Amino acid sequence: MLEVINLWFYIDFHSHVPIYQQIKDNIKSLILRGTFKPGEFIPSIRSLAHDIGVNLNTVARAYKELETEGVIRAERGEGYVVVGVDVENLKKQALEELRKAVVKCVKLGISIEELKNQIEEVFKDGAQG
Amino acid sequence: MVLKVENLKKYYGKKREIRAVDGISFEIQEGEIFSLLGPNGAGKTTTIKCILGLRKPTSGSIQFSGQYGIAYVPEGKELYENYSVERMIATAEELTENFDAKRCWKLTEEFNIPFREKLANLSNGEQTLLYIALTLSQRADLYIFDEPTLGLDPIARNKVLERIRAIPIENEGAAVLYTSHILSEVEKISDKVAILCNGKIAEMDLLDNMKEKFCSIVLENVKLPDLPFIVKYKSTSSENVYITYRADAERLGFECKPASLEMVFEAVIMNQVENSNKG
Repeated sequence: MLEVINLWFYIDFHSHVPIYQQIKDNIKSLILRGTFKPGEFIPSIRSLAHDIGVNLNTVARAYKELETEGVIRAERGEGYVVVGVDVENLKKQALEELRKAVVKCVKLGISIEELKNQIEEVFKDGAQG
Repeated sequence: MVLKVENLKKYYGKKREIRAVDGISFEIQEGEIFSLLGPNGAGKTTTIKCILGLRKPTSGSIQFSGQYGIAYVPEGKELYENYSVERMIATAEELTENFDAKRCWKLTEEFNIPFREKLANLSNGEQTLLYIALTLSQRADLYIFDEPTLGLDPIARNKVLERIRAIPIENEGAAVLYTSHILSEVEKISDKVAILCNGKIAEMDLLDNMKEKFCSIVLENVKLPDLPFIVKYKSTSSENVYITYRADAERLGFECKPASLEMVFEAVIMNQVENSNKG
């Protein structure tokens, strides 16, 4: 069976977000979206470095940190396997980001009704947007 | 470790009053792409010439370890003008140990260099590309590029940067020492960056760490907090923007805003110039 995996992701070299961090975030979101499933191998350091045009060391650093966080684990001599993403932790982070966004909205004088409307709309649309 | 430079000094002039390189130390590890970044006259080329043994250091030590040696693309490129590209590659194959002519042909094709042409008839950009192709076809432990993209168009430049990036991927254990004053290039390919200014290393770290280490803070016209590193980046009528260490800013409860490498670079250079004026 032919399976097309949409793997490539964009790295912004000029961003203030470190490149290893961008790689980590992208791998996590690929796991969350189900592109990489627990127990499956993710691309080798070498092949990912080649595919997204990033240095070996940078990918190695991202993988090492993902390993420390328990998102992936090293299979001796074979590569890295997905363990899973700590969803609770990500939810916490997302809520913190939302809080910051809400504070910004409040500062701009946006009412609670408007905010509620926005949230309800997203839920109606199926939270894909 | 491929290269270790310790307290390197190179002074010129009758009284050794020109301090081109003034006590710099750094290490390059296997697989690492290391960039020397700095304004013109910072001491980048002199450092490289000392490493290659083309200049005798005033003091300091340089240790290289590896089995294949160093491959080098100088800032000013000189090739045999009467040779054709074909003959140049054949000659390089004869004269250079561990030279892969097939690979060189492939690179020549990739860089669109007309291979029957005499070198004298190539454009400056094409000559640079040929030099880079010759260097990339040599197996070395350390590849040194001094401003390799000077005079190249954006497409050729990206091809070269991609080839440089691939060096540690294609040659197990090989490292790169790269100099440039073009920030966007350095950002794209470096693991580690040393910012050179007036012959000294003003800042050195992994590029990713540098992005995390610094931030900008906005202060109204108040008395400056006493911090180990704080440089004014910009002023408006009522506020000043400063670049400082993120850890210090957070400790003092300032709102940290991002600082691009460009901002950090400028701040680090300004700070270094200020300090050397004081000293």
